[in-house]
Amino acid sequence: MLELTTWPRSAWSIFDELESIQESMNRALGAERPVAAQRGERYPLLNVWTSPEGLMVEADMPGVDPADVDVSVMGDQLTISGKVNPTPKEENVVLHRQERPHGEFSRALKLPFRVDNNQVSAAFRNGILRVKLPRSEEEKPRKIAVKAA
Amino acid sequence: MTTENKHAVQTQPRPETPQAVYMPEVDIMEDGENLTLLADLPGAEQQEVDLSVENGVLTIDAKPSLQAPEGYSLAGQEWDYGTFHRTFQLSDSVQVDKISANVRNGTLTVSIPKREEVRTRKIEIGK
Repeated sequence: MLELTTWPRSAWSIFDELESIQESMNRALGAERPVAAQRGERYPLLNVWTSPEGLMVEADMPGVDPADVDVSVMGDQLTISGKVNPTPKEENVVLHRQERPHGEFSRALKLPFRVDNNQVSAAFRNGILRVKLPRSEEEKPRKIAVKAA
Repeated sequence: MTTENKHAVQTQPRPETPQAVYMPEVDIMEDGENLTLLADLPGAEQQEVDLSVENGVLTIDAKPSLQAPEGYSLAGQEWDYGTFHRTFQLSDSVQVDKISANVRNGTLTVSIPKREEVRTRKIEIGK
């Protein structure tokens, strides 16, 4: 968790070049890079918990305003998107250090089963998002009694 | 050279807790009147965060009491619960007795007012 430095890109790649061009274009347009690109890793980082009833996805996202987060489930895909820590735009503010993630993010996770959409719930507390994804009834494993012939 | 290492950097979990100690990520900003420090302490309630200043060193300590969700087992892990510790050297140009702080959404915000004499002053130019 919480690496202090961003990792250096390992090998040269054409994608780095393209990204840096895209980046300078974005900068010229005043847009921020997606969080995952700044950090060279996924954002937000997730833990996945399972139980017979379904899954619980736990995202590490301190500083995020819950009003800025969207959680959606489409079919068997969970998507968490939003924005985190927009860089202050005020002219008289000097940024001495910026280690925290900032900007827009979106992360999708393919679920191992279909979920009951109406039963999905999300709670955000102290910078940690927990999404409960109950397995839909028809996909729950069923026990079949074996009768003696 | 002695084998005794008095200055070992503490990266190992502390003896009283089995959890890892992380260095929180911070942003530091400055405007005309204040220095603002933002530190990410995921999982921490306000009362689980300790902030202190001693001899010009600001220390942040947080011990979030996060509980694993009951009835679940871990299937995939990208991050871990832990405690947080980090120190910062303050300059002489801040007012230590006027520092204020709050915790919101897992982020600690520390407001450090600058001394009057180092604040930005707008000077009117006479006609």
